Amino acid sequence: MTNLFLDFRIALRSLFQHRRRTLFLVSAISLVTGLLVLLNALSTGISETMIRAATTLSSGHVNVGGFFKVTSSQCGPIVTEYDKVVKVVEANVPEMAHWVHRGRGWAKVIADSGSVQAGVTGIDISNEPDFKRTLTIVSGNIDDLSQPNTMLIFESQVERLKVKVGDAVTLSAQTNRGAANTVDCRIVAIAKDMGLMSKFGTFVPVETTRSLYQLRPDTTGVVQLYLRPQYVKDVTAIAARLRNTLEKAGYRVMDPDANPFWMKFQTVNREDWTGQKLDVTTWEDEVSFLTWTLKVLSVLKLVLLTILIAIVVTGIMNTMWIAIRERTREIGTLRAIGMQRGGILRLFLFESFQMGVIGTVAGAAGGSLVAVLLNMANIKVPLGVQLFLMSDHLHLAVHLSALLGAGFMITLITTLAALYPAYRAARLPPVSAMSHFG
Amino acid sequence: MSRIRLSLAAAALLASVALPHVAHALTKPELVEYLKAVDERQKNQGDWRSMIYMEQKEKGKVDVAYEALVFRRSQDQKFIILFTQPKASQGQGYLRIDKNLWFYDPSVGKWERRTERERIGGTNSRRSDFDESRLAEEYDPEDNGEVKLGTYTAQVMTLHGKPDIDLAFPTLKLWVDKESKNILKREEYALSGRLLRTSFYSKWKKIYSESKKGDTWYPGEMRFYDEVEKANSTLIVIKGVDTKALEANQFTKAWLESKSR
Repeated sequence: MTNLFLDFRIALRSLFQHRRRTLFLVSAISLVTGLLVLLNALSTGISETMIRAATTLSSGHVNVGGFFKVTSSQCGPIVTEYDKVVKVVEANVPEMAHWVHRGRGWAKVIADSGSVQAGVTGIDISNEPDFKRTLTIVSGNIDDLSQPNTMLIFESQVERLKVKVGDAVTLSAQTNRGAANTVDCRIVAIAKDMGLMSKFGTFVPVETTRSLYQLRPDTTGVVQLYLRPQYVKDVTAIAARLRNTLEKAGYRVMDPDANPFWMKFQTVNREDWTGQKLDVTTWEDEVSFLTWTLKVLSVLKLVLLTILIAIVVTGIMNTMWIAIRERTREIGTLRAIGMQRGGILRLFLFESFQMGVIGTVAGAAGGSLVAVLLNMANIKVPLGVQLFLMSDHLHLAVHLSALLGAGFMITLITTLAALYPAYRAARLPPVSAMSHFG
Repeated sequence: MSRIRLSLAAAALLASVALPHVAHALTKPELVEYLKAVDERQKNQGDWRSMIYMEQKEKGKVDVAYEALVFRRSQDQKFIILFTQPKASQGQGYLRIDKNLWFYDPSVGKWERRTERERIGGTNSRRSDFDESRLAEEYDPEDNGEVKLGTYTAQVMTLHGKPDIDLAFPTLKLWVDKESKNILKREEYALSGRLLRTSFYSKWKKIYSESKKGDTWYPGEMRFYDEVEKANSTLIVIKGVDTKALEANQFTKAWLESKSR
């Protein structure tokens, strides 16, 4: 143990003795760690924003939606007798924290100065505390959604409709039997944009969706299940289990299809069946048209990281070779006064390990600082980027676990990079090493 | 007493002058017959081919114009709309077979099932605007009396959708020329009672139909006004009508696909 500590001290002193070389390598390690931390922060930030937006605007962690077909060519996003479905869910998903039900639809929102095609989600605002907490209301009062025929829209829709709180708009849609229908709504709240999904989403009381689509009170669009935080990562398994459970309970359940409900109309319309079919999806399915950005980012991160690590590994190995060549006589002397081969090996490994630790700590601190500064700067991203980020502002999420992971990985790689040069140094015969002139 | 007699005589005289101008309210069977007559004039009872020109005006958007061919067969209610202009829409088409409306887009080579209430080419026109009139089958009429519509005397009636039939517009209001039984004006209402679309039929034309052994009437020009988005309107011109028999295999997906190859 004393030997180990001594080797550690010798390695540290050696680092300080070769300041320029150490500084160069530590800077490189620090840069790679910083970049890794920033890339992780960006992908985690996007992922978190996406989950938040998805589970606020259009999905639970797991959803039980479905389609009801009056005829084989006419389908609506409806769950009939949803209270019975909820009973099955409550009995079989112990991971669930709570559930809400929402109406689903698509309608033309018409104001005096313009119109937009938008998704119409019916909500019971008194039962949606997370929704209220997550949305930032810039005008009006979100609680007014408890009043009949009211509406919440987003800032980007205000630009197109040219409306303000208190103005009336008309929702025009077809019922599930194909009859034209309209409902006049009063805008009661305008919320801050939440990326792409808020461009085409509006919220009305669930009774308004029932009135617009002429639905019975025991129908809804989707039952959204919210899981306890520790189970959120298990959504796919929970959805698969729920699918089986519902089938056993006598429901017709659609095959798994990782797409949002509104992309399934064509498929469902092509199929020759009538009546009710349930569709169990996860939040990832409902935003699958956007999650490719995360996959692209992961691939990009991997490629970038591989290149940077290759550079660092090459740098460390080269530097070690140079150091061994410069310090061959020193190695010979150490061996001559009794240091074993293992000691020499440890010496160089410790040097590399110490550079790794110093570099990753500095890099993690630097990367975190940049991430914090970027978050504080509240940088607004262009519209095109908003669509992918699911937010109008850049958000980077730095977690301790990610920092520790990055630090551990880079330190391990830098230490292992020194393994072969250290092994070669340890194998040098003391006599020839001492007589080396280089 | 003589004053009373004088009053009655005056009332009788007034009534004799006024009554010819005030039509008696039509009974339900009379109205149904009236509606059947409206349908009958437009029925072809055979094959139909026409060319249509559609022009859509929407607020804040560039005007859109299409040319298309319409084919229909009365006996099994088959129907085709094949777009010929503009170039970007060439080969696109709607096919109605077995009471299902399909849309084909050659650029993706896929068939999509569409609702019967589909807005044709994104305009404010629907398939039923180009099909044979089936008002008497689909609606129950209610008399709203007579009015003057320009130089025409029009019978006004409100039509309520029959309970078991799925209709785009559950309520219609019609102005029918008393003399010719051609529709002059039509208003379409949503379930909520809101007026959605007003249509004007300014030119009626006729063609001799071999299959019907008589004249078939069709609107040469229709104008649709969106009553919710007030600035939007659609003009439809129907021309080149031909009632000769069409190919037996015309109303198939293969036929429509072949038109874009």
